[in-house]
Amino acid sequence: MALKYLDKYPKNVALRGWILKPFFTTFKNLVKTTIRRPVTILYPYEKEWIPDNYRGRPGLVFEKCIGCGICARICPTTCIELVDIEDEKMGAVKRPQVNLGRCMMCGYCAEYCPVDAMTVTPDYELAAFTREELIYDPYRLKWENTTKGMEVKMEEHLISNLEKGILDQPSAFYELDRPKLIGEKCISCNRCAKTCPVDAIEMVVVGENEKGKPIKHPKIDESKCVFCEQCIIICPKDALEINEVL
Amino acid sequence: MSVSDWVSISDSTANKVSPYEVYNLPYAIGHGLWEIIGGVIAWLINIIAPGNRLSPFLIGDFVTNMMGLFIMVVVFFAVIFIVNLTMIWIERKTLGRIMDRRATRIGPLGYLQNLADGLKTFLKEHIMPEKADKKGYMWAVSIVIGSAVLIAGMIPLSPRWFLADYGTGLLLIFGIFAVSPFMILVAGWAQNNKYSLIGGMRAAAQMISYEIPMLLVFASVVLMAGSLNINEIVQFQMDNTWFIVPQIIGFVVFMVAATAEAERIPFDLPEAEAELVEGWQTEYGGMKWGLIMLSDYFRGYVACALGAIMFLGGWAIPFMDTLVLPEIVFLLKVVLLFFIMVWARGTFARIRTDQILNIGWKVLLPLAVINLFIVVLLKIGGVY
Repeated sequence: MALKYLDKYPKNVALRGWILKPFFTTFKNLVKTTIRRPVTILYPYEKEWIPDNYRGRPGLVFEKCIGCGICARICPTTCIELVDIEDEKMGAVKRPQVNLGRCMMCGYCAEYCPVDAMTVTPDYELAAFTREELIYDPYRLKWENTTKGMEVKMEEHLISNLEKGILDQPSAFYELDRPKLIGEKCISCNRCAKTCPVDAIEMVVVGENEKGKPIKHPKIDESKCVFCEQCIIICPKDALEINEVL
Repeated sequence: MSVSDWVSISDSTANKVSPYEVYNLPYAIGHGLWEIIGGVIAWLINIIAPGNRLSPFLIGDFVTNMMGLFIMVVVFFAVIFIVNLTMIWIERKTLGRIMDRRATRIGPLGYLQNLADGLKTFLKEHIMPEKADKKGYMWAVSIVIGSAVLIAGMIPLSPRWFLADYGTGLLLIFGIFAVSPFMILVAGWAQNNKYSLIGGMRAAAQMISYEIPMLLVFASVVLMAGSLNINEIVQFQMDNTWFIVPQIIGFVVFMVAATAEAERIPFDLPEAEAELVEGWQTEYGGMKWGLIMLSDYFRGYVACALGAIMFLGGWAIPFMDTLVLPEIVFLLKVVLLFFIMVWARGTFARIRTDQILNIGWKVLLPLAVINLFIVVLLKIGGVY
């Protein structure tokens, strides 16, 4: 009778040790954790191991930054703002200021920074008492001991390259497009050359006007250009244009 | 021996009946302590005012015996209290390890966590629901806590470590043990809260279904030992075998029913925190809640102590006729049984409401009756 019952229900608890099996399971776990200690990490006293490129708050290498403003434009939450500051060594410069209350630690600013001045940092303990404390000015944003892993490089495989079968030539985004000059509109004002953060623009004499004064047009050094669009923004006559890929 | 006997005899620590040097160790401790403390106080008073009448009174027989009794009660309670704190610590640590996490953190090995929790609950505000029945609200919980502490004080730790040696023994303990679920029903009603009322009802249902198998097991133990007195039951087990050998079914039934009576997981339906907010304790806050928690552990201690006395030979060491440190041996057995309870708590999920009555009446009661039959057969057959 009893055997028939057991045959009818092969998954019967009586065949699986009834309550003894869970007892055994918990006892095994008890012995195991008593020997090797629990996996829990006591946070304020112990900290988890953090990889080199951990995406904590953004950091800034103050001297490297060229103030191009790509980070401010690429930021998905618009938490980065370029501010004018008066530095003791560098004079009047533009540097990013980050509102960490809005920052979502995506690391795009570090990816898109052409000179690797904006980095990701392993700093994740960002609690503050007020919202104002969360706005990090450029000096507070500085990060010493920047390692190579923190400089996030963004490299893309172009579809045109992949179609050609070239798989080992990733290219950075700022190598893709350059500002172009529309010659008739230029008034030779020289502002683009002044504002260029990497001195890629040189004014070249292309001719003379009726009064005999030289007409200068900007000539862009493609190897230096970082695609920051500062010249396009500053141009009073919209003489420079770009195919925006950002 | 009554209180007046204690107070009036001159040399109350002398050995008269028991095989030990002292009749009652806590009383001897209290007596000796008051001889030192009272002696120092009397000496200091005598220095300030020589020849006064207070100093001889303080070191006289009456005051010494009274203060000896007082300190005896304090010492006895302090030992139980420390044992309970240790048991809570064991429970939290074991559960933590079973769940692969760190448990208590404060103090050496986390031992002082319970004191920290007690201090925290002590600092909380006293809140009472506006429409609660005030008398029922306070009196019911007082009786729940008080009865738990009372039965914990009624358990002797050894033949020389007890508060009173009384003939009714286990019967009285089981009687007071059963008061608490009824008072839980009263408390659930008095709080004017549906969750606590459901919790109280469940406590009553559980009490009805689990009290009977437990008392049947208790009856079979008493039948086998032929006495209700705890000392005599343990002495019988020392002379013969431990009752766990002939009554293994009774032991299992008793442990399950005692877990249910102490309202511990998996039988904690009256305070099922997943279904009823905190069960019958929902409206109790602050130190009231803390004391309810402590009284739960007192009841758990009593259940384990009864198991150790009735089945594991109390303070006896196996295959030895003499007693070596009987208090320590007894407490070790209690802690062992408590560890099994904690282990079961870490293993099982809570039993469903519709299952408690089935398990109580259809499983435990027949097993208890079978156990009683075995005992009766053994008794008739002349084995014991």
